[in-house]
Amino acid sequence: MSDPKANKSLSDNSCSQGDKSRRLVIASTIGVSAACALFPFAAGLTSILDPVVRNSGSTTKVPWTKVTSVVNLPDDGKPAKFEIILAEVKDAWTTYKNVPAGAVYLSRKGDEVIAFNLKCPHLGCAVDYRSKTNDYFCPCHNSTFGLDGSVTDADSPSPRGLDTMHTKIEDEFVWIRFQQYRPNIADKIPLS
Amino acid sequence: MSKFLDWLDDRSGIRGLVKEALYEKVPGGARWRYVWGSCLTFAFFTQVVTGTLLWMSYSPSAQTAWESVYFIQYEIWGGWFLRGVHHYMAQAMIVLLVLHLMQVMIDGAYRAPRELNFWFGIALMGVTLALSLTGYLLPWDQKGFWATAVATNLIAEVPLVGPMLQKIVVGGVEYGHQTITRFFALHAGILPAALIGLVVGHIYLFRKHGIHVKEPRPKKDSYFWPDQILKDGVACLAVLMAVVILTLYFKGAPLGPPADPSNEFPARPEWYFLFLFQLLKYVPAFWGAVIIPIALGLLIFIQPFIGSSNKGHQFNIGFWWCLLAGSAGLTFLAFSEDRENLNHGAAVREADWQAARVVEIAQENGIPPAGAVTLLRQDRENRGRRIFASQCSSCHRYNGHDGRGYLVEDAQSAPELAGFASVDWTTKLLNYDHYISSEYFGGTAFKEGTMAKKVLKKFDADETKLLPQVALLLSDLAELPYQEPLSVEKKESLLDIFYDDLACIDCHDIDSEGEGSAPDLTGYGSRKWMIDFINNPEHERFYGKKNDRMPAYGRDKKLSTEEIEIVVDWIRSTPADF
Repeated sequence: MSDPKANKSLSDNSCSQGDKSRRLVIASTIGVSAACALFPFAAGLTSILDPVVRNSGSTTKVPWTKVTSVVNLPDDGKPAKFEIILAEVKDAWTTYKNVPAGAVYLSRKGDEVIAFNLKCPHLGCAVDYRSKTNDYFCPCHNSTFGLDGSVTDADSPSPRGLDTMHTKIEDEFVWIRFQQYRPNIADKIPLS
Repeated sequence: MSKFLDWLDDRSGIRGLVKEALYEKVPGGARWRYVWGSCLTFAFFTQVVTGTLLWMSYSPSAQTAWESVYFIQYEIWGGWFLRGVHHYMAQAMIVLLVLHLMQVMIDGAYRAPRELNFWFGIALMGVTLALSLTGYLLPWDQKGFWATAVATNLIAEVPLVGPMLQKIVVGGVEYGHQTITRFFALHAGILPAALIGLVVGHIYLFRKHGIHVKEPRPKKDSYFWPDQILKDGVACLAVLMAVVILTLYFKGAPLGPPADPSNEFPARPEWYFLFLFQLLKYVPAFWGAVIIPIALGLLIFIQPFIGSSNKGHQFNIGFWWCLLAGSAGLTFLAFSEDRENLNHGAAVREADWQAARVVEIAQENGIPPAGAVTLLRQDRENRGRRIFASQCSSCHRYNGHDGRGYLVEDAQSAPELAGFASVDWTTKLLNYDHYISSEYFGGTAFKEGTMAKKVLKKFDADETKLLPQVALLLSDLAELPYQEPLSVEKKESLLDIFYDDLACIDCHDIDSEGEGSAPDLTGYGSRKWMIDFINNPEHERFYGKKNDRMPAYGRDKKLSTEEIEIVVDWIRSTPADF
């Protein structure tokens, strides 16, 4: 390409028939080589993108999961932490039965149970309940949340309050529809 | 020999290649400040070799990653050393990168005609950081798991495609097999390949433009071989020594407890990312993960042009010093905040305990196919601590903490239970001052009860002297695994004190069918006694109606029978720390 004459012949408009067919040869060579070189990448593209198109099923129907006996929740609204053991969790090729999949803070007032996902809505660290200040605190980036889950400090990096989930009391047990949510956005959108 | 070399050269042109490689001119003579590039190449070479050797034993999946790293660390002959070298060399690479970069900046070797090579260098820095980030997750321990979850959540901050990109990197919505396989492919395949490509370009461009030397030249020109190579070799040896010393000192790289999404751990990245971690406390994630890095990246990209003037060059050097100082300051803040945070310290110690415990179980019983995470979940000792922390520690304490090492914010309102029923514990129990202190019943109604006010306080000096003997008797009833039982004769003589000298029997029963007004001490502190007591302290055998706030865990189904047994066994297993 550094030969000026060659450059000239390539950019010459009044090219001969031979030049034209030579151009075709060059274009074909580049095309064929590029197709061959890109083929392996193209072959793997769908498998790389599979997680984007795969429906994990978490939005379709979140099952009720039994958490704990109601007696384990004081009725003064003081929160307590509980593991969530899901009946079934699928991880790619493995299906786990009865496996701890996360944790929640539950607090009860009468028959009403509020559940907060332990994961901070900022970037997913586990929040702690602080009994002294009666609030929630994230030990990673110092977000603080009130007992109702709302962000209490204007300097808290979390864009929304703690994530609540549906709960019910049935047969003296607390049940929950356990879910994870997209971190670090103002809206609470389930992960799916 | 020379004939063979002639033959080889004839077929390969190897002499020319070697000559080309070794007889690079070093204007101004060999200098120590030029060693960093070679050190980095050496470090990368070490990582490729040690990484490939680790690969031979590593198995990337959620059920086998931690387990195979455990195998490397604790079972394979010298595996801990291999892993340690890989771990600390990765850290050394970061330090070397900074040194190399600062040397290039200060010497002005990033300016025309070396702009392109400067960009190659910056790209290499990015790839190296990506290698370290992806490598952090591979052991699939708590530290890597929780820290990388934060890091991948940051990917979602990229406008428009962020959430999709995050899914592609994580391999789905939740962390699992596909996260490890993808991170491993990045760490051992894509990123090293990119790094090799970039290094080849970097070295080619470096050779094309030669070493940048400041005029006037400090010494006479010399050649790469042997002058500079000797210096490079010595520097590489120093790096190697540092890495080996770190590996030996810390007995290889740390391995935390296996990743468990239900077992929280305060996420912290590796030390060289702490500045970014700390920054996220002050700025929104979008700024910390997108705006600021892009702005800095753009500025760095145009630095070769800014540096074309002398003032611009000074600005560039100042910029990097500020960036380094700022990062160092944020890193220092991150460390000092964690050091001052007692709960963080407790969380780290708890993770260390879990890590040591899971290794202990794995070495004793092996690891089941479901993975090591089930070992900890099913371990009675671990469960005992956790049950105590969640159910008992808001009133009781264990060695002054919640059973897992965390300080409890609520005031202690029930007895300390570490070493419960041991000789020391019961001796103190029967001492009036201890009895009414917050360590025992100071926070309960029993502080004002019959035992305190009408018995312990009223004993005369002779009776008080006998109390430790009664303590010895009670403690023996507990049949604690770490205490020797008393002889039959000794026990009988102590029972005499209990029945006759101090007349404890007036209220408390031992091995009798009486209906004393105070707790039945038959088998006091024994496994059965404790289980029955926790099951229902309001039973007439125990406190009856005098019970002060102690829940009936079994009767009210707050804990299952198995859980009560587990926490009892755990309390009884070891003596108190103090």
